[in-house]
Amino acid sequence: MKKRADIPFSSDSSKFFIPWLSMFMVFIATLILSVAIVVYSSVQSWTDNISGSLTVQIPTYTEKGESREEKIATDIEMALTLLRSSDGITGASLLTDEQVSALMEPWIGQSDSMMELPLPKIIDVNVDSKNFPNITQLKADLYEQVPEAVLDSHRAALDELVLFFENMVNLIAFILILILITTAISVIYVTKSSLSVHEKVIELIHMMGASDFYITIQFAMRSFKLTLIGSLVGFILALPIMALFNYFLSQMNGSFVLESQLGILQWVLLASVPFLTAILSFLTAYKTVSKALKQIL
Amino acid sequence: MFTSNKLSTPIAEFNGVSFKYATGPEVLKDIQLTLNPGSFYFMTGESGAGKTSLLSLLYLNNMPTRGRIRLFGYALDTLNREAKAQIRRQIGVVFQDYRLLDHLNAFDNVALPLRIAGTREQDIKKHVRELLAWVGLEKQLTKFPHELSGGEKQRVAIARAVINRPRLLLADEPTGNVDDAMAKRLIYLFLELNKLGTTTVIATHNHNLIKHFGFPRLHLSHGKIEPVEKNTSNKG
Repeated sequence: MKKRADIPFSSDSSKFFIPWLSMFMVFIATLILSVAIVVYSSVQSWTDNISGSLTVQIPTYTEKGESREEKIATDIEMALTLLRSSDGITGASLLTDEQVSALMEPWIGQSDSMMELPLPKIIDVNVDSKNFPNITQLKADLYEQVPEAVLDSHRAALDELVLFFENMVNLIAFILILILITTAISVIYVTKSSLSVHEKVIELIHMMGASDFYITIQFAMRSFKLTLIGSLVGFILALPIMALFNYFLSQMNGSFVLESQLGILQWVLLASVPFLTAILSFLTAYKTVSKALKQIL
Repeated sequence: MFTSNKLSTPIAEFNGVSFKYATGPEVLKDIQLTLNPGSFYFMTGESGAGKTSLLSLLYLNNMPTRGRIRLFGYALDTLNREAKAQIRRQIGVVFQDYRLLDHLNAFDNVALPLRIAGTREQDIKKHVRELLAWVGLEKQLTKFPHELSGGEKQRVAIARAVINRPRLLLADEPTGNVDDAMAKRLIYLFLELNKLGTTTVIATHNHNLIKHFGFPRLHLSHGKIEPVEKNTSNKG
């Protein structure tokens, strides 16, 4: 003989509302969390890469448009010597014209005429991250030796961009919190409605000696199961959208390409969304019923 | 487990108990009452005299507005929620309107108190089948309340009340919807349990039953327990 639930949950509306609600919430949460993960990973990656390098630009033309061809070799040589002898610098090398063109490609595009553009000579400088050079001092030294040279600290150049993406990640975190709060509030109202529908049954089993735990766990488990079903569907529905997003990312070229591949830990974090939502639903329902039962003797 | 270790400890003691619903008038006034282990009482009184209210205090559905109640030796106002739940598990209640759960069949309705008490499922099967056979419903195990007659529902309700061998059995008009012959059969069921030591209180208007069985009466009038002449015949 199959054991039936003490409380006839099948007769209330929670069996429809909770799965649909959790499906939409987890669908949205999974998508925006994946965006947050991609952006965060990319920012981390950029920061890591950039913090270990500087560049020095030596213009090939003066501001008036006159060629500096006869002076450029000397300038490069002097700059390389200075950089290599400076404290905190582990290496400096001149990029070839092809390498400079490749760097410019995301902004200018591929063109045969790129080689004819007045692109500056670029020296790639590797720095010791544990003994970072004094940039102000280095700029002053460089100006003394090669006044036309421009020292770029990539970190400074990218700080605003990184700040923008960090703010974006914070905004996404805020939206996620809003989604969780909305889910919790909805579960509270659905649970209260369910409590009201089953009031007589609850009173009866309470009168028979059912502990608060005996009653609350039935509501909480019910809420957990319905949320988990809806959440898993929402998560599965989000996967193709994520795959499409990943495809578009992988098609992008350029210096600021976002990380398109998620790591194992990141997948675990995403996959935990349906389960965390179900646990939130369990705890919310548990707390709601516990509080309501306190009103009964 | 909240069980008194003294056999002589009264099952229930009311000391100056009064009760009223919300802001209404007092429906029970200064009740002094002691129910000894193994006793059997009929509770009588006009409609509105306070019988149902007194029973509701006994099964902890309400708490007194004044006075103190002790059940199985424990003062109710000192117990926490879990302790009260344990006390309730030692009380069986039969309601006039049965209060069977419509979505559960006869077996599951009767099994409910055992499941609440955490009894093993195989023991539940054995005990419930035995008890339903004892009340003559061995063929109605899988029937739902809407498929049962009034008398059958009443017997399922009684089986549910007695399945976990309560120390105190309370019945509110258990014979209200059955004929005299069935009413006597039901009281004999209660008597069987009473012989095993269950203290029993039955609220009834049925004077034939009261006369027939002759057990002591708790007569309520205007919220107070009034003395009554002792019954002379006891055919129980």
